[in-house]
Parts: sequence; structure tokens; C-alpha cells
Amino acid sequence: MGKKDEDAGDSGHFYHIDKSTVLQEARAFNETPINARKCRVILTKIVFLLYQSETFHTNEATETFFWITKLFQAQDIPLRQMVYLLIKELSTVADNVFIGTSSLMRDMTGKSDVVYRANAIRALARITDTSTLATIERPLKQFIVDKQPNVSSGALVSSLHLFNANKEAVRRWANEVQEAVNNKGAITQYHALGLLYQIRQHDRMAVIKLVQNYSKGALKSPLAYCMLIRYACKIMEDEEAGSRSLYELLEGWLRHKHDMVVYEAARAICNLRDVSSTELFPAVTALQLMLVNHKTTLRFAAIRTLNKLALTHPAAVFPCNLDMENLITDPNRSVATFAITTLLKTGNEASVDRLMKQITGFMGEISDEFKVIVIEAIRSLCLKFPAKQSLMLNFLSNVLRDEGGYEYKRAIVEAIFDIVHHIPESKEFALSHLCEFIEDCEFNKLAVRILHLLGTEGPKTPKASKYIRYIYNRVILENATVRAAAVTALARFAVQLPELRERVKVLLTRCLDDNEDEVRDRAIMYLRIIENEDLCKRYVANESTFNWASLERNLVHYINDDSAHSQPFDISSTPMTTRDQEIAEKSRAVSAAAELSAPSLRRPSTAGTSTARSGQAASSGDAQAGYAAAIEKIPQLSQLGPLFKSSSPIALTESETEYVVTAVKHIFNQHVVFQFNCRNTLNDQVLEKLNIILKPLDEEDGDALVHETSIPISQLVYDVPGTVYVVYSRPGGACPTATFSSALHFFVKDCDPATGEVDEGEGYEDEYQIEDVELVVADYVLPTYVVDFKRLWEALGEAAEVVETYQLTNVATIKAAVVNLFQVLGMWPCDGSEVVPEKATTHALLMSGVYVGGAKVLSRCRMVIGGEGVTVEVAARSKDESVARTIVDAVGA
Amino acid sequence: MASLFSGLINWLRSLFWKQEMELTLVGLQNSGKTTLVNVVANGSFTEDMIPTVGFNMRKVTKGAVVMKLWDLGGQARFRSMWERYCRGVNAIVFVLDAADHEKLPAAKAELHQLLEKPQLANIPVLVLGNKNDLPGALTSDQIIEKLYVQPAD
Repeated sequence: MGKKDEDAGDSGHFYHIDKSTVLQEARAFNETPINARKCRVILTKIVFLLYQSETFHTNEATETFFWITKLFQAQDIPLRQMVYLLIKELSTVADNVFIGTSSLMRDMTGKSDVVYRANAIRALARITDTSTLATIERPLKQFIVDKQPNVSSGALVSSLHLFNANKEAVRRWANEVQEAVNNKGAITQYHALGLLYQIRQHDRMAVIKLVQNYSKGALKSPLAYCMLIRYACKIMEDEEAGSRSLYELLEGWLRHKHDMVVYEAARAICNLRDVSSTELFPAVTALQLMLVNHKTTLRFAAIRTLNKLALTHPAAVFPCNLDMENLITDPNRSVATFAITTLLKTGNEASVDRLMKQITGFMGEISDEFKVIVIEAIRSLCLKFPAKQSLMLNFLSNVLRDEGGYEYKRAIVEAIFDIVHHIPESKEFALSHLCEFIEDCEFNKLAVRILHLLGTEGPKTPKASKYIRYIYNRVILENATVRAAAVTALARFAVQLPELRERVKVLLTRCLDDNEDEVRDRAIMYLRIIENEDLCKRYVANESTFNWASLERNLVHYINDDSAHSQPFDISSTPMTTRDQEIAEKSRAVSAAAELSAPSLRRPSTAGTSTARSGQAASSGDAQAGYAAAIEKIPQLSQLGPLFKSSSPIALTESETEYVVTAVKHIFNQHVVFQFNCRNTLNDQVLEKLNIILKPLDEEDGDALVHETSIPISQLVYDVPGTVYVVYSRPGGACPTATFSSALHFFVKDCDPATGEVDEGEGYEDEYQIEDVELVVADYVLPTYVVDFKRLWEALGEAAEVVETYQLTNVATIKAAVVNLFQVLGMWPCDGSEVVPEKATTHALLMSGVYVGGAKVLSRCRMVIGGEGVTVEVAARSKDESVARTIVDAVGA
Repeated sequence: MASLFSGLINWLRSLFWKQEMELTLVGLQNSGKTTLVNVVANGSFTEDMIPTVGFNMRKVTKGAVVMKLWDLGGQARFRSMWERYCRGVNAIVFVLDAADHEKLPAAKAELHQLLEKPQLANIPVLVLGNKNDLPGALTSDQIIEKLYVQPAD
């Protein structure tokens, strides 16, 4: 004993049990008379095993389940409740669980003083499937309006569970549910409200009425109010920008007597789309009061919400600064960390010094995880106030010397990297700190990255020679990985600075004696390269790299194609990525990731912000590589040539309909391929010969496209996605825009939901209408990055320009207009012009792209708020005038 | 000698303790099993039209005898589960709707299938012709003939 038992922890005397012994013991359920105490222990053991994720095979589970049903003869109440628990647990594994239906119904219809009625209802719902639902429908309806809150709750929660599979049936008892909202039990009100919403969620007006009705104070449960608040937000999310029909209600809830409701309302207001500072004010005031509350949870919740708000509206959070400064010394370190990071976001330049002092004292007390958050905050602060960089760098280099794990150190090093990139004045100072750090760095990965940075940035500084000593020290003292990186860094100095070349060569020659192949190889290679200016330019000074996703795809393609092996791999077909572009993508990814990882509660689902968009754009390259690979595998499609552009997936159905379909449009040289990803969400149906019928709504538009083939899905089973491809050719490379009405066409066969066995016979033919598919101008435009928009714009000249002015009446703000233009044109934003300052009244958006066929096109959209909506002047320049015309016209269409 | 002794013990036991009996009621749907159980338990006839989904368990005390009654659902999907509740009981009662001529072949098939189970070999089976007050109901002789059941000794 001894040690094993210590490990067992809280599992106590259940530690030694194993499944087969317990199942043997379960035979005691068959004995007469029943020993309730003994049976309870055995049941507990089975539940324990289930909770320990022990797997029960269907046979075992069924056998156990039937033994357990024998226990219905015992009248012992705790035993009966234990039986319910087991029924619920086993209901998903065992077969024929409906055998318990009558017994459970008897228990729940029993006398009203029986304590386990609610338990029986809940257990019953678990063993009910569509076929037995009719049997329990009537009693369930009756229990929903039961006076006892726990019984009513049980029935309501059971109905919620049943709702997913039997929407129609549950809708029939909406009246009873409505009555239950007035039940005297607070939790029952909450459950009833939840179910009522489920029943009505697709009826917008009904939900609005629901929220308005119950907002008047009829409810007792604070949880129910929280639900109402969420429903209200959902309604407002779907509203057009600018209108806020239910804001008054939210504001009213800020004065509710329950903290929970107040917080939920405040948080909801903070999450509103395009929230204005007047709207925010009462919410922030409410949160501010919570900051000084004696309950830690409230303080934490409030500071977390403020922290998130500070990302987008630092000015609105500013009034709380004083309270937040007091929180820095909060005994709860999580609260303190959030307080500091929030302050860093809202603080002005003058308060930075004081804050940094406080943080220094504070860093020793928190865990690595929180330290990383603080470092991230300092990083963004430094980029905001470049003047404070020396203070920040001092701080960062100090913490760099502290104890800490890899993630923490990495955060610091990356923060310093960022500062180096964005604030040139800091370069020398930062590099010397990094040099010191690698003198004693236990993380190879970081040392290698720092050496790389020294190699690229070091030669550009005035006193480059001093870094060489640090780098060469690594060659002498470190392991092979770091030595190899150091050799490369040295070589870069030699290439960039001819005056140092001879001295570096001496050092590199010494590396030739290294006992590691890689190090020697690098040294030899660089010694050769340094001699030759041409080679230098090609291999060292050139900072472009390949687009990794496409390079990988091309290489895999090459390796798999035996006939291609007679030729060397042609790397020129792989697109290049310039260094600037890489950095741009990386910083985009970082900012998008930062936004995501920023201690956020729930991201508002309609995040129409530009960061989210560009994050998508950055990853779309990878998605396209994936599509291309999938298409290449299909023989009928492999002949279409290289894939020009794939759109992002568009949902053609609601996400909870019988069949869920999303579409992706692929543009090829001479073809358009529609890819429909279909999913069947009905577990009792199998769809065969599933095809998609597309019909152009306007015959003329459709004429430019010729339907070639469709590749149907031969069989679509439950929950396994399948793909239909529909191929159109574009004769002469025409780029028509068109709208297609689309419908699924298939043969339905019923199948057994449990086994998936398909019934015999032909099945019946059916069609299912889905939303229209649109082919738009954006589909033909590949967003591409350009280094210098202005120069290119000038170079194309006014002769190649097409200008048109439009009035966008459907948008209220510049921000909305920008999002709109992105959608319509599908081009890449340049020079950071996608970022719109708050309350901007004018803006110029610069975009670039390549039109199918290869014509580069640039666009400049100048916007001004005025009249009804936004007036926008769209100018496009391209060598091919028709392309520029298409782009400009697209905005007006 | 030993049997005499145990007989004596049993007789003594029956004086002081209750006798326990376990019965399982099976039979096609709508043959009157649940109604029968209700009559035995409450002594009153109620027309209960809800089919049993699964089973009902009732304990009935009559004098010194406690009867545990497993009343099983008669619909086709429950029939495969009858055996589970028949194992180890004192007797099986096969309830038959004597007035429903159409279902007789099905009842016969189910009864014979039950009798063939090796697990249930030595358990006495009582075939109970229910609803014999209805016009056209079979007599017990007719039932025996139709079902080919050997009467118990």
C-alpha cells in the first residue's frame, strides 16, 4: 500500500476497483430481497468508472442497464435516485434503453410528496427518442406547469434536451412554457425563458416581444435577466448599423439590484458594435463601481471587461484610471495583472514612468503566464509612445535577466524585436541588450533568432564591429545549432561591410575546424560566397523568400510525379515573397492574434473590423493551397490548369437546417469551378446522387458561361461532409458576373439512425432550394501586396485611370464603407489605409490586386460622409483599361 | 429424512415469515397484462388504454404472500427483452387475448419461442386466456388445441 494510495488522491477506496469485478458484483441487483445499501455502493462504483472514462461496450452497458432496471422493485429513495443517475449515464451507450419508460413515468406521476419526481423526468427525457416521444408528451406538458419549481424545472430542461431532435413536438407546448415563466421558483423562470427563446428564436418579432415583456420586472431570477440581456444583444447585432432599439433596456438594467445583471448589461454595452462614447458612459460608470467592490469575482469581471474595452476605446476607460491604480496592489494577482495591462493601454505618456516603476516591483510576484500578458501590453505601449523606448528597453532587458520559462523569455525577445523594427532609434541600444542576453541564454531557439537578427540588423548600425565579438563568442562557447547560426550571422557582416571582410574571413576560417558538419559546411559556403560579389547578391543580400505554402505544394507535386523527375525542379513557378511583404503579413497576423488572445470574453460575432478581415486575407493563401491540392486529386478537374483565386466559403443555408451547404468559387484560366460543401444533419436519411442544379437568373449574364460538368456526391451519409463540384467554362476568358439560383437535387433513402443501415429500394427524388450563388467582380481579383503604392500609381499615370463617383446610401460610417468596398472589390489594402480613425469624416482607401489574366490593377477610393450615407470617388488604374473600368463599375453595381 | 426435515422448516417458516413470489407477465400487446396487475393489486378494474412502454414493477401483498409482478410491454420491440425478466422467477404468466382470433398465430409463435429458451427450462408457465367474457372468446380447451400447449400436470 502506501505510495499507491497517496497517488490515488481523492478517489479514496474506489482506487482499486476494476470494471469486470464491478460488473460481477452487479449481479447482486438480481437478489431477493434487495440490499439497498450494497446496491448503492455498487452503482456508485459503476458511475465512478464511467466518470473515469472507462469504456463500456454496448453489450456490457446493455447488460448492466437491464440489471439496474431490476432495482425498480426496491422502494429505497436514495437507491432510486442512484438508479436514475445510472440510467442517464448509460442511456447513450446501452441498447433498448426505452425499456425504462413505463417505470419512470410511474415514478414521475406518483404522489406529489415523492422527492424524486423531477429526477425521474430528467432521466426519462434521456431515454426518449422520437418514436417514444408521443408517449411522454402529455405528462411532460402537464409537468411544465407543475406548481413545484423543481418538477417544472425538470420538465423544462428535459424539453430543452428534446428540442434539438424534435423541434415540432416541443413547439406544441409553447403555451405551457410561457405559463412556467411565471412559476414562483427563480431557477424555473430561468429554464422556462431559455426554452421559450429556443422555440421562438427564428421569429425576430417574437423575440423582441419576449425581451420587452419580461424586462418590466416580472422575473425574480437574475440569471433570467442575464439571458434577456443576451437575447437583446443578439437582436441588436442583426440590426443595421446605427440603430439600437433595445439600448434603453440595457441601460435600465445597469441599475438592477443584482450585481450579476448589472455586470451582464455593462458587458453587453461594451460589446455593442460601433458603440459610441455616450452609450458607453453609463456602462463604464457601473463597472467602475464594481472595481471597488469587496467581492473579488466582481472586481475581476469588471477589470477584465474594461481591459478588453481599452483595446478599442481607451478614452472611455480613462476615467477609471485612479481606481485601477489602486487595484495594482490588489491581493488577487489576476486582478492586479489586468489592472496594469489596462492602465498601460489607457495611460498617457506622462503616467508611463510611474506605471513602469510599479510594474517593476510587481513582476516578481506573478506567474509566467501573467508576465507574458504584461510584456505584451508593454510592447504595444512602446509602439504607441516611441519616445519612451529607452525606459521600456531598460525594463525589458532587466526582466530578460530574471528567471523565467521559454514562453516568457520569448515574449520579451519578440517585444524587443518589434521595437527594433518599428523604432529605428532604439536599434543600437536594443541590440546591445540582446547581445548581453545571448551570453547566457539557455534557450537555443531564442539564441538562434537573436543571432539572425544581429546578422541582419547589426551591419546597418554605425558601430557594427562591436557585435562581431559577441557573435564569435557563441562560435567558441555554444552547441552546434547556435554555432551554425553564429557563422551565418558573421557572414552577413562580411557581405555587408567590405571593410570588415578580411577580419571576418579569419574568424570563418577558424570555424573550418569545427567538429560539426553543418557548421563547417556553412563556413565553407560563406567563405566562397564572400569572394564573389554576384553570389553575395544572390544568396545573402537578397532577402526575398518563397511563398512557403506554394513551395511545399509544388515540391509535393514534383515528388509524386514520376515523369517529371527527368527534369530538375523548376523553382521559378513558385511565387516569391519579398521581405517587406513577409513582415507586413507577419505584423498583420500578430495584431490579429493579439486581438484574439487579448483577454477577451466573447468576441462580438459580427466583428466587421478590418483586423479580422486582414487576418482572414493573410490565411486565405494557405486555404487556397489546400483547395488546389484537393482539386488536383479529382481527375475531371486536374486538367483545368493553375488555380487563380478561391473565394472564402459562403454559407448558402442557415447553420441549423436539414442540409448545410457552403460554397467556394474557384477561378481558373478558362473556367469557373463552384465547390459546394454539403453536410447532412439528419441521422435517419441518406442522400444519394446528390447534385447541385444551378440556373442563371438572368439568361444574358449566364450566356457567357457554359456548363461543362458536375461531379455529384454518390452518397451523403449523416454528418460526413461531401463535396459537389460544378464546372463552367469561360470562353475567351470572359469574366461575367451572374447570379444563379441553386438547389440540391437528390434521392432520399431512410436509414436506421443507430446502425446507419440503409433501407432497401430506390428512395424518392427530392429537391431542396438553397440560397442564390453570386459570381461577382471580387472573385476575379487576386489581392496582392505592392511595396510602394504611390510610385506604382504615378507610374501607371492618369492616362490609365478610370474615375467614377458614387453615393453609398446603405452605409452610415466610413468604417462600414471600407468594409463594403473590400467585399465588393476583393483587393489588398495598401499603406495601412484599411485602418479608419474613429469618427473619421473623410478617408482614402488604397488597394491593389491582380485581375484574372494577369493585369495589375490599383484602386484609390476617396470617401466623405455627406448627404445620405457616404460619397465615394473610385479611381482605378491599370494597363488594361477594361479592367480598370470593371473595377470602377463594380462599386456602382 | 432430509426432505421431511426441510419440509418441517418450511412449514415453520411460513408461520412466521412471509412467502415471496416473483412472477413475470408476458403476452402480446393489448392482451390485458397491466389491467390484470391492477386488478390483482387494487382489486378494481380500470380501463387503462396506455400501452406499457418497457415494464411496470408492482409488489402485491396478499395475506402471507408477497408477489413481485414484472409486467412487461407486449409490443413487438419489447418481446426480445422478455427473457431477461423471466430468468429466475417462480413462474411466467403468458396472458392471451382469447377473443382476438387474428393474433392467435403470433401469440403461439411467441409462446413457443419463449418455451424453447434453455435459460427458462424449469420455470412453470401459466397460459391465461383473458377477456373470456367477450363474445367469440375461446374456451380453455380450444386454446390448448390452438396453441398445442401440453396442460400442466
